[in-house]
Amino acid sequence: MSRVAPTFGSKLLYFFFVCISGLFLYFDLNFKSFEGVKSFYQSTIISSKYLFKKVTLEPLSFFYETTKSKSDLINQNKKLKLELDKSYISNFIISRDSKFFADDESIKSFLDLNSFEKVFHLAKLQYFDTEMYMCCSKHRAFIQTFQTNKNLVGSPVINNNGIIGQVIYADSLIEVLLLTDIDHVLPIVSGNHFCNARGSGKPEIVICKYNNKLWQQKVLIGQEFFSSGMGGIYPKGILIGKVVEIREVDENFNEFDIKLVSSPMSSNLFGVLESL
Amino acid sequence: MRNIGITKFLIIIFISNVLESFIAPYLITFHVSVPITFLIFSYAIFKSNQRLNPLFAFLCGLYVDLISGSPFGLNAGLFTIMCYAINSYANTFKLFSYIQICIFFGISTVFYIGFKNLIMNLENFSYLLLFTSLLANVLLFLLISMLRYYFPSVYLRYDQ
Repeated sequence: MSRVAPTFGSKLLYFFFVCISGLFLYFDLNFKSFEGVKSFYQSTIISSKYLFKKVTLEPLSFFYETTKSKSDLINQNKKLKLELDKSYISNFIISRDSKFFADDESIKSFLDLNSFEKVFHLAKLQYFDTEMYMCCSKHRAFIQTFQTNKNLVGSPVINNNGIIGQVIYADSLIEVLLLTDIDHVLPIVSGNHFCNARGSGKPEIVICKYNNKLWQQKVLIGQEFFSSGMGGIYPKGILIGKVVEIREVDENFNEFDIKLVSSPMSSNLFGVLESL
Repeated sequence: MRNIGITKFLIIIFISNVLESFIAPYLITFHVSVPITFLIFSYAIFKSNQRLNPLFAFLCGLYVDLISGSPFGLNAGLFTIMCYAINSYANTFKLFSYIQICIFFGISTVFYIGFKNLIMNLENFSYLLLFTSLLANVLLFLLISMLRYYFPSVYLRYDQ
């Protein structure tokens, strides 16, 4: 169906409305005559937006914020746990700083001399085969430092209880040879009694074999042994463990088991000490 | 758009005005202006089966003036003029090809942008804006009119 073209009357009507529009425009531009209407409309829109936001968006955002703050708290908790574990290791070093270093001056000069920014690098356990640790002779742990590019091969590895081993390979992952691995030998001392403690292949046990003609001083159950520092890897005077069993191998040789004070399973955070 | 109710039409105009206010800042960086509200109004009149009352165009224009914050009477006048132009050429459009209709709407759009800039933005009046808007709008209308060949099912119910 065709549309009827505007008649003379409707043309006049169009002209009339165009004139009215022109008048409106003139009054609005020159006298701001419609500011009241515009302001009323704007205030209505703003109020509606506010109400809409209050009724719909704010409850949703409140719900979202609640869940977010919960996850934030969990993350913060994890971070605090990490800091706490780190402080345990730091405390271990601080409480034995006379063993690691003679005094504060020594610490400072040691750090300055070697351009060390920190005494140890915090590392996290990445892989530890507990089955192998319980049954077999190869005791290794794989850890990863948080932030360091240094070559840490040969560095002692500690946790919050004491020494657990040394780094034998360092790439993206660090391989730690544990004290209990049968390939590991740790020079220890108690009083005047020096001995090389070899890993037993058993959890938390190292074995010391000595010539009883050479070392005539008796070894007692419960006697404490410390690192002697003679191997050039570990610091001197750190408690390694206590004697739990003594055996006579033959006429000239005795051996005794030492139960270590530190276990690699007690924590999943470690400190890799700076080595010289 | 043929038999759309007044309320629906006003809602569509409102939404298109919001859309236009969102898009305009991005398009103006390319010296292009696409007055979506005006185009929707023009399209509604163009597609309407009956001759629309000039009062309707005038009130629609006032409504757009109100929601867009333009000076009162600007859109009212332009909408009335556009309504008159479309109603006058309603039967002639049937003889036009799509390209001619697109060019007609493109030129109308440029007139609308030009008048609006003369009233509201005289200090920054730009012929470049008008020229690029003409090209962009004509191309846009051609693209939209070609959509029916690529998506015929969308237009099936209207072509019956």
